[in-house]
Amino acid sequence: MFAYFIRRTLGVIPVILGVILVVFILTTIVPGDPARIMMGQRGDPETLKLIRKEMGLDEPTHVQLVKFYKDVFTLNLGRSYRNNMTVIESIKSRLPVTATLAIGAMIIAVVLGVSIGIYSATHQYTWQDYLSMIFSLLGIASPVYFVGLIMVIIFARKLGWVPGTGLGNGEWIYYVLPILTLGVRPMALIVRLTRSTMLEVVHQDYVKTARAKGLKEKAVIYKHALKNALIPVITIIGLQTASLLSGVMLTETIYSLPGLGRLSIQAVTNRDFPIIRGVVLFMALVFVLANLLVDLSYGFFDPRIRYE
Amino acid sequence: MSDKNLNKKSNLKSEGLKETSDTLLKDSWRKLKRNKLALVGMSIVILFIIVAILAPYLTPYDPVEQLIWTEGAAVKLAPPSADHLFGTDLYGRDILTRVIYGARISLQISIAAMSISVLIGIILGTLAGYYGGIIDDIISWIINVLYAFPFLLFVIAIVAFFPPSLILTFSAISLVYWMSIARVVRGQVLSIKEKEFVEAARALGVKDWKIMFKHILPNIIAPVIVQATLGMGSIIMIEASLTYLGFGTQPPTPSWGYMISAGQGYLAQGQWWWGVFPAIAIILTVLGFNLFGDGLRDALDPKSR
Amino acid sequence: MKKKLISIILTAVLIVGLSAAVMAETDKYGGVWKDALQSNPPQMDPAQSTDTKSAEMIYQLFETLVEYDSEGNIKPLLAESWDISEDAQTYTFHLRKGVHFHAETEGGTPTANGGREVTAEDWVWTFNHITSPETKSPRAYFIDMIKGYDAYRNGETDKLAGVRAVDKYTLEVELEKPFAPFLGTLAYNTFVVMPKEDVNKWGEDWNFHPVGTGAFKFESWEQDSVVRMSRNDNYWMKDEDGNQLPYLEALEFRIIPDYTMMWEEFQIGNIYQTYVDDPFYLDAKENYPDTFFELPQLGTYYYGMNVEKEPFDDKRVRQAMNYAINREMMIELVQNGRNTPAKGIIPPTMFGYNEELEGYSYNPDKARALLAEAGYQDGFEVTLQYNTSKGHKRVAEALQAQYRQVGIDVKLQNLDWGSHLDSVERGEAAFFRMGWVADYNDPDNFLYVLLHSDNIGPEGNYARFSNERFDTLTEYARLETDPEKRKQAYQQAEKIAVEEAPWVFIYHYTTHSLVQPYVNNYELPAFGQHANLFRDVWISK
Repeated sequence: MFAYFIRRTLGVIPVILGVILVVFILTTIVPGDPARIMMGQRGDPETLKLIRKEMGLDEPTHVQLVKFYKDVFTLNLGRSYRNNMTVIESIKSRLPVTATLAIGAMIIAVVLGVSIGIYSATHQYTWQDYLSMIFSLLGIASPVYFVGLIMVIIFARKLGWVPGTGLGNGEWIYYVLPILTLGVRPMALIVRLTRSTMLEVVHQDYVKTARAKGLKEKAVIYKHALKNALIPVITIIGLQTASLLSGVMLTETIYSLPGLGRLSIQAVTNRDFPIIRGVVLFMALVFVLANLLVDLSYGFFDPRIRYE
Repeated sequence: MSDKNLNKKSNLKSEGLKETSDTLLKDSWRKLKRNKLALVGMSIVILFIIVAILAPYLTPYDPVEQLIWTEGAAVKLAPPSADHLFGTDLYGRDILTRVIYGARISLQISIAAMSISVLIGIILGTLAGYYGGIIDDIISWIINVLYAFPFLLFVIAIVAFFPPSLILTFSAISLVYWMSIARVVRGQVLSIKEKEFVEAARALGVKDWKIMFKHILPNIIAPVIVQATLGMGSIIMIEASLTYLGFGTQPPTPSWGYMISAGQGYLAQGQWWWGVFPAIAIILTVLGFNLFGDGLRDALDPKSR
Repeated sequence: MKKKLISIILTAVLIVGLSAAVMAETDKYGGVWKDALQSNPPQMDPAQSTDTKSAEMIYQLFETLVEYDSEGNIKPLLAESWDISEDAQTYTFHLRKGVHFHAETEGGTPTANGGREVTAEDWVWTFNHITSPETKSPRAYFIDMIKGYDAYRNGETDKLAGVRAVDKYTLEVELEKPFAPFLGTLAYNTFVVMPKEDVNKWGEDWNFHPVGTGAFKFESWEQDSVVRMSRNDNYWMKDEDGNQLPYLEALEFRIIPDYTMMWEEFQIGNIYQTYVDDPFYLDAKENYPDTFFELPQLGTYYYGMNVEKEPFDDKRVRQAMNYAINREMMIELVQNGRNTPAKGIIPPTMFGYNEELEGYSYNPDKARALLAEAGYQDGFEVTLQYNTSKGHKRVAEALQAQYRQVGIDVKLQNLDWGSHLDSVERGEAAFFRMGWVADYNDPDNFLYVLLHSDNIGPEGNYARFSNERFDTLTEYARLETDPEKRKQAYQQAEKIAVEEAPWVFIYHYTTHSLVQPYVNNYELPAFGQHANLFRDVWISK
């Protein structure tokens, strides 16, 4: 088991090296000139040259790549082209909002998703089953930017249940709509997954045995079936990290929240390459580590899995 | 030895593939029919495809003709009426017509993106699964690296950095989507290549590409179809998000995402029809593909019999 | 109907009564001003700022020597008065006494300068700082006519020779040659006085810790979320009754990227001022008759045609492009009539505007005839490049349909602002959207900057227009000091440019602002909403 632990952890290294390479390619071999953006309309060519030189944009690509690897490993990610804030600081200042959103959404998704999934599975092919499936699938199918606006019109303007968008002074109420909006997608996936694994597990021998032993239906479900149905849910938490990090982009924009998602969209439209590099690297790293954790935690949840 | 193998091979051809696949198909169809949600999904998908193909015959209006210049303010953002069932937009264009043509654009982009994804996914997934070793290591490495990126940001970055075009849009989407297919294919190939009939073929000296094409491919089609059907929904959503954010298809091309984005302000203002109808179209279509895909998976999965 | 009227009257009476009561109590003081910005301001360092969001922040925290009044005339700010020498090359500014830098900032932290008085030496330091090659200010060249600018930039001298402190309260600026709009340039948000102690203390991070002399001092800047400022209790300005200004206790600018959400927030009452996007225009006009402000702005919106590229190397094609569109109807139907159709280049409220200029009117037949004459009887296909924005898209989509009527197939292509600018400056884009809003109120800032052949490329002449007679006229007007002669020169030059048509002239901008009914003394500057000040604004809620 220890050997597996080491091997799996070391396996992350080439992936991270690759991620850095792709980030570099993405931000280097594209047309357009980031120095221009700093200058605004009517910049003078002389200052433009100075800025390009300072950014290292006049060096050959392979020199820039070697320098980039060095910079990443020494955490020297530079400063934003746009406002001169260090990349580390830019990410740090946005992280709390995005982390709150992502973790909140994940909790909602797991709690609601597993409950609805079990309910659906134990009521297979009834109208309740159909309703919960449609409800959760609507979550996947509704565009965030559309639902977000409708929610604000209804809950903020018409009903006054939430004070508005943005952060206020950090009160929890401001997070309610965004977390719900962000959480529906992973929730729907968890509902589907829980439902199908539950159905599968219920028909398996050991559950049948438990039933035959005269255990109550509820006990069968919660003690035996659920425990095993949860394993794929853990996997999906890992995989959904990436999709949550994508989801925050639209959610944060529509709810005026200062998070990493909005930072990254702005950085893309402004070609603020240091920020793009920093945020993308950070998000990819979070994803890789989350999945590493998930992989390693299987052993604790499911003793049947042996680490070969 | 060789005789035995030969027998096995012919067995495989007659029963192993054709018959099982026939019964599997019948069996699956029977299961699919029982699942009402899947049928609903299938109907929506079929409707969507029919609408997309027959667009010009379904409406008397031109999707790009702006009526305000000739008919004036009366046709500007006119509410739903007998003439315009979904109302008109700021330029006096019939919204129903644009929603119908929007289905066409959505279908074009999602089919193009999905075909490329499936093609790349099958090729790389099969190579990785079949050969294993260094080839598998490299392909898996590429998949893991690309998987680590938040896909929407990745697509936006590509689309934003180059001049926009339809080709760029679906290429960028397939660049991030092929991995899902490749993963599924690789897993399937790994389990199938251990099966007797493949080993037999290999022992007989059948060429690798022939084995992959003749024996492996037919057996991985089902999971690929499921994955692709579910993926169509995601791709339609990604495309709409891109146009919503101002990337992707350009006016006057009727795209659902763009219609929602343009109609958003008017929606908050009470002139809801410009934004709401395309939103309903997206929701229904994506819902349809998901329901259908889910049903297909349940039906094609031998475990859930 | 009657019932409704009565209730309106009743509410009105109530509001008047209420606000009278509140007024007596609060007597114009206090309150937090809640505002919204559409994007995070990139820069609060005046030397680096190039955009309007940054400018709006800087105008609250810092001050210039002179400023514009609401009609667009120059008036004193930190300079109480000034003299201009006979040869129009030396400006002597008499500085206001008793102006202090902020003593505290960011929650009561003392500043490095300690709140000392501003003297002429500070202005000398600031001008040297801005124009220093090390600062790399993208706006330094605005004052490149100051004597010794080139020598200082090249490193031949270690200071800007033309800016001198005569005594503690007298500043002298000498120019290389006369430059009529010089005072106007000085009102630009880069040329504010900065305390050298704080600039040096923060170095690279100065952008995040601005300290100036303005009516408000900096409190905090949560990126992408909110900028907070608080009252400068030591501010030099008093109201007509001798009361200390500003009235407001604090300013709060939330960043709300989506105009629809901004409108929702305004409806809820969470913000006091909002941008009004086209969908909300009629609503705003109807429901806020007294607090919806609109003014013609010193700006022009146009589609540039690269005169070096086919088919725009033919004057007839360029003229046809102008005849083919119905500006009036587009503005009326698509923009709710909120802009002014453009006949030429100079905006209507600018000095030198020519009312008699004929310009182009909608005439599709003439457009077709001109195209046929130029050999394009079957029309042609061209790509319009524009920077990503819902508003630009809205206009482009309308004009695209009109061009189709005369056989011109316009494809649209949007790019982010930086890339758009880049390709336009390099002359790669044949047909592009562009707009220009004055840096200072003078035709020089339009005609010379945007169309003189010396400025082809990044300097501003993106259409790559070149006309000898036009060049001579605009150069002459730059140096001439007699307003009447300048005006005539500019009008002649504009006529040439309109005839040659390097642009599709579309409209002149309007600036606007919608504030809540309980906001008092708000004044919309002619220069644009971003220049609004809150020195004497107060809230009666």
